[in-house]
Amino acid sequence: MADFGVGVPDEIARLSLGQGSAPPETLPPNIKSDGIVAVDITAKFSEAVKTLEPGAIVKDGFFTLFDSVAALEIMDPKMDSGCSRPGAEVEETYDVSRSLLPEEVLGIIDQLLCHEMSWHLGYPLSQTLFTSFYVEALSMPEPRSIEEATFVRNGNHNPNEQLMLQALRAYCLGMLKSCGYVNERIKSEHFYEEEDFVTTTYNRTLLASLPTSAIRDVLIEAIAALRSQRGSMPDNLVEALLARLELRRIFLDAVECPKNMKEPNLAKKPWREGLELLPDLSKTHSLAVRVNEAFSATLQRRLASTMPPRPIVQLEFDVAFGHLKGLFADGLELIDVLNYTDSQSLLTFVTCFQAKKPQPIVYVRTLLQTFLFDAMEVLGSMSIRQLLDDDFSILTMPAHQYLDRANDEIEVVHDPRYAMAQQMELFRTRAAQPFLDILRTACQNRCRVRRTLCHLLRDWESLQMDAEEIDQILQVKIEERPTMYRSAMSGSGVESYSLPLSSWTYLYKLRQMEQIIQLGFELEIYQTDELAGMYWYLNYISKSRLHHTERIKSFLMKRVEETHGRPGYSNPTIDAQLQRSLMYARLSLLDAAVTWELSDSLSCLYTVLNRLKLVKAPPRPYSTDELRYEIRMRPFAPIGLPVLPTFEEFTAGTLQPDTEIDELFEYAERAVEGAKRGFEALSKMTAEESFSVGSHARWSSSVKNGLKSCIATKLAISAVQKVIQTSPSLDNLKIKVDVPTPQKAYHEWWIVPKVLPVA
Amino acid sequence: MAVSSGKQLPADLEYVQYEHRLEGQYLPAIRSLISKDLSEPYSIYVYRYFLYQWSHLCFMALDPEDDSLIGVIICKLEVHSSHSPPTRRGYIAMLAVASHFRGRGVATALVKKAIEAMVNRNADEIVLETEETNTPAMKLYEQLGFIRSKKLHRYYLNGNSAYRLVLLLKAVDPDRSPIYDESQIT
Repeated sequence: MADFGVGVPDEIARLSLGQGSAPPETLPPNIKSDGIVAVDITAKFSEAVKTLEPGAIVKDGFFTLFDSVAALEIMDPKMDSGCSRPGAEVEETYDVSRSLLPEEVLGIIDQLLCHEMSWHLGYPLSQTLFTSFYVEALSMPEPRSIEEATFVRNGNHNPNEQLMLQALRAYCLGMLKSCGYVNERIKSEHFYEEEDFVTTTYNRTLLASLPTSAIRDVLIEAIAALRSQRGSMPDNLVEALLARLELRRIFLDAVECPKNMKEPNLAKKPWREGLELLPDLSKTHSLAVRVNEAFSATLQRRLASTMPPRPIVQLEFDVAFGHLKGLFADGLELIDVLNYTDSQSLLTFVTCFQAKKPQPIVYVRTLLQTFLFDAMEVLGSMSIRQLLDDDFSILTMPAHQYLDRANDEIEVVHDPRYAMAQQMELFRTRAAQPFLDILRTACQNRCRVRRTLCHLLRDWESLQMDAEEIDQILQVKIEERPTMYRSAMSGSGVESYSLPLSSWTYLYKLRQMEQIIQLGFELEIYQTDELAGMYWYLNYISKSRLHHTERIKSFLMKRVEETHGRPGYSNPTIDAQLQRSLMYARLSLLDAAVTWELSDSLSCLYTVLNRLKLVKAPPRPYSTDELRYEIRMRPFAPIGLPVLPTFEEFTAGTLQPDTEIDELFEYAERAVEGAKRGFEALSKMTAEESFSVGSHARWSSSVKNGLKSCIATKLAISAVQKVIQTSPSLDNLKIKVDVPTPQKAYHEWWIVPKVLPVA
Repeated sequence: MAVSSGKQLPADLEYVQYEHRLEGQYLPAIRSLISKDLSEPYSIYVYRYFLYQWSHLCFMALDPEDDSLIGVIICKLEVHSSHSPPTRRGYIAMLAVASHFRGRGVATALVKKAIEAMVNRNADEIVLETEETNTPAMKLYEQLGFIRSKKLHRYYLNGNSAYRLVLLLKAVDPDRSPIYDESQIT
């Protein structure tokens, strides 16, 4: 068995418990003290136990299911890492000092790369990198200096001086160090342990105590040593090894990129270099020869863990390489978030970036969080107040007196500007967390985004109450005069106030409600017979957003008129702010309108398909429509406005029992035509007009997919119409309907049915 | 090739409620049937945790010819109070049917038994998780009235995600008293 130069015969000493310091000596409690009377209950206990049947559980209320799941059975080879199957070696061995061929070093490196990416994808180190004997040799015991970080540590330096082992060592050191950075980054941000990622290092430090510069030096030395071999070793092998060492050097720069947050171009450099280098890796992979014996699941026995033994995760090189490429491409793209133009473009960037398929891996998502929020600063330079005020001014308060920084200087208590400063500060304090949570939530995995939004929605609901109160206090202070506002809902004009803060809040709340429904489509939460109802509800919410945006717009128009009406008025800064808000209102109107109309059309289409039994509902003997409606609407039930539709309203909207099929189709056609025009108008918008500066390409492609969804909807409608017209009876239409998965739809949020002929 | 058509579904499988006295006879078979689909086995304590406390919510499908185990369902029913108002929540923990008997409605029959037992014990809702790739299981539950309430990212050790399925049995009245123990009311 390889000694790893440890020279400590005691098996326990190899366990990575109490790393770094001697374990404190624990003495048995002193039971001979005067305060304790010890009684031997062994006999009584044995007697009592006899009254139990085998298998009876005696437990207190604190013994949970979790505890029972965590229990292990000793001597079951599938659960007990110390128990081995008959005939199997308890612990496999491998000589880390053996000479390696260049092809084998390549093979080991590429296997390590697969393990590293598996770890990134969420598998623990114990089933990935920590199954490598080389990693084990470098990690245990923890090297105190770079000189000590060698495969063989018993003073015999000959093996360490072999070029191939030198290259492999340099690769492993660079790899472990960058894994340390990755692990710390993920731990410092919001993520879900075990679900997104497993941060445990089983008390191993991933070389935390070795300076990065020392590891860089080792890499540079190994690169130089390899270069000097050009000519005496096949060129392609030298180049393949060089590319891999170069990758490790670049990787270290990449994980250190947050220190260049103020210089985006510098921060981008390693990501770009990595992307350029990667083809050299993939095209030389065919030279690699695997060394499977250099990895063993039995190394798990040395880890400080009660976890049962688990198999080595096997990720194909091509798959791993795809993820590595994705990591660098996403890392590079991510830096663009630092080029801030306005709060809405930032939101668009984050939303579009996270909606990518496949979603960026967790390390990239946490790196984005670091950029967004590190040290209470947004993007490394802005205060949260700046970000919030920018957003207020875009949505509802362009060049607004509430946002005037000069208000802060007023000390006269009865001056309205004093109240403005006070109340706005109060509102910012309340709004900061829910607002930043929108960005933070977007950085989570897609399942969590939806679940977190359901909780966040309640925070926005209570923020809206705060906002309404502050709006009322301030409208009294500034003696705001009401305007006659004619809403599309009520028809007649009502005296209305601008309510800038609650309008801002309500708009966000509505967007979140839409998003929760939309993510339901994306995550396949709804069954096909539910689609008519869920599109009906999406239509209901987006209609509310449309009407709300119209209200915001009319108050913006009023402000434009008032501002321009002032005699001798001329102020380009104010004009620019007013124009920007109008531009945003236009975008929001269009976006709400296309959502309204396309969901309207799809709802009608699915209503017809349900009615024609082309989409069938399961029998559901234990459930009722009303109880299922209750589950579906749980996230929205606590929301006061928009009012939750009653079950009767929902049923009427979904079944439309009094509307004939051809009328429904007529309606669906008109709606989809409107949606199509809306998407076309959106697709012509510039980055500035669509508030997608920095992510315009991604935003546009989402709009184009919306447009394609409209066209597909039109096709589906006409296909069904045509068959109905040519069929003698509605009971036997020669078509079937295929409801695609979101991945196969043009857009994950628009599940457009495919109508297919049946023979 | 008629691989498994030799074994016809017996006219009537016997559906038996588990009891603790059956542990010696059936627990090994239950464990082996359920472990077949698991990458990592549950310890015996997990089975006992359920079976000892909720034996009345565990049902076995037995071959009448030799009383051998064909299928099993294991559940629990507890007051769940992490959300307000608290509810009596049933949970289907495990369901397995021997592979050569699949596709013949055994699992559906077992789930129905469990639902009915939980309904009789005043459950407000029944929940479970199922692997996103397990289409037959999802279809089975959805046929009975379950719907998906959320998706759980990488829920299983193999890296697969899961869906939480819910069957609501009673409307939740937010004003309802949080005391569910009827014996205390009377």
